[in-house]
Amino acid sequence: MRMIIHDLDEDFNERLKTKSEEVIWADGKYAPCQGCFNCWTKNPATCSLKDSLHEMCRVVGQADDVVIITENCYGEYSQAVKNILDRTIGVSTPMSTYRGGEMHHTLRYGKKGKLKVIVYGDVSDNEKATWKLMTERNRINHGYQLKELVFVDSIADLEVSKI
Amino acid sequence: MKTVFIDCSPKRKFSASGFIAVMTSLFVFGSKKKMKLRTKSDHEGILKELEDADAVVFSMPLYVDGVPSHVLPFLKEMGGWCRNNNSHIRVYVIANNGFIEGRQNEPLMQVIENFCLRSGIEWCGGLGIGGGVMMNVMRIVIVVQLILTLISLIFTGISTGNFFDGQILLGFLKSLAEVLFFGCSIIMFDIWLATCINGKKEYGKHYTRIMVPSFLFIIFADIFFTIISIVKGGIFRGWFSKKRPASYKDF
Ligand SMILES: Cc1cc2nc3c(=O)[nH]c(=O)nc-3n(C[C@H](O)[C@H](O)[C@H](O)COP(=O)(O)O)c2cc1C
Repeated sequence: MRMIIHDLDEDFNERLKTKSEEVIWADGKYAPCQGCFNCWTKNPATCSLKDSLHEMCRVVGQADDVVIITENCYGEYSQAVKNILDRTIGVSTPMSTYRGGEMHHTLRYGKKGKLKVIVYGDVSDNEKATWKLMTERNRINHGYQLKELVFVDSIADLEVSKI
Repeated sequence: MKTVFIDCSPKRKFSASGFIAVMTSLFVFGSKKKMKLRTKSDHEGILKELEDADAVVFSMPLYVDGVPSHVLPFLKEMGGWCRNNNSHIRVYVIANNGFIEGRQNEPLMQVIENFCLRSGIEWCGGLGIGGGVMMNVMRIVIVVQLILTLISLIFTGISTGNFFDGQILLGFLKSLAEVLFFGCSIIMFDIWLATCINGKKEYGKHYTRIMVPSFLFIIFADIFFTIISIVKGGIFRGWFSKKRPASYKDF
């Protein structure tokens, strides 16, 4: 199953829903991660904060391919999207292992297919380089086999059919 | 000279970031201020402190290969504030991560560099520290050991009349030396960073780690999380199971 996580407006949210089986709207109406690790050590795959992201890692865990549409924030995801990523580390387990000669967590939901990241807004060359590195690190950490990174200048250029 | 240290960990207490900020500040001269960045309500107080500061040191944990989400709105606000006030503040960053390789902090470091470029302030580099969790555990272990040593010194003192039992003291010094050994590279790089802050110089980007071979570190980390998960009970609640969403939708 392919999942789209995006920080666009409601109108776009509706249009995306016609395109993908599962759309997660990063509307920012949730709290940031508190760093407690309870989603690993107390109630696995469940966040201690009881808002809309309470069980989000279970939802994201079901996806094979994930598309993230985000505004650029210094070469990092927008706050609303990053908040979802931080609150869903329960997609891995607390156990560590080697992957690609580096330390990483083992994956609760196993290997994934493709991670596609679409970045919109004004992105400098430095930020593009950061995005390349960032998405590659995310790909390895989350166990995706493939990765695609796309930059679009404005949301208007974003064609729902091409996502 | 005034340096503001910002502990960007969302944890209220016992954050590795807060500990490293304090450790670094020990080697920094001039006036120092340590601030906590957890929520939006902290922004105003921090910006107020930045008004007359020469340098700011962000100490933060690595979250999902980048900056924790609650730090991003602060960066945006500070960026606007810096441009409006024509600030030339020097920015340093100390990033710490859970995995052993300090180099995994590189994307975070670049994000802060990009932030400086966009905000017209001076990027002076940073230190990426691998094995932050272990460092945090070690300093707590040292405090506990210190307390235990004091208690046993008192008890031996009461029973034998000798309050400075050499054997007990030696035991404590040995564990202190072990901690200093594991942390020696971090301390060295940290002093170097402090020297650059003092000299108003650029530090560049450097990466270091706890001095433990990575295969041992992985074993330690796995034992650590197993113990915590037994204590908190997660191990008995489907520790590794592919849990499905209950309250969302059917998949
Ligand atoms: C949501 C979340 C995401 C994390 N992502 C990473 C990561 O991608 N790589 C890593 O090495 N450590 C990661 N960590 C581990 C933290 O960087 C590590 O525990 C750090 O020492 C916490 O510092 P603090 O005590 O100052 O909060 C993550 C922790 C949390 C809570």
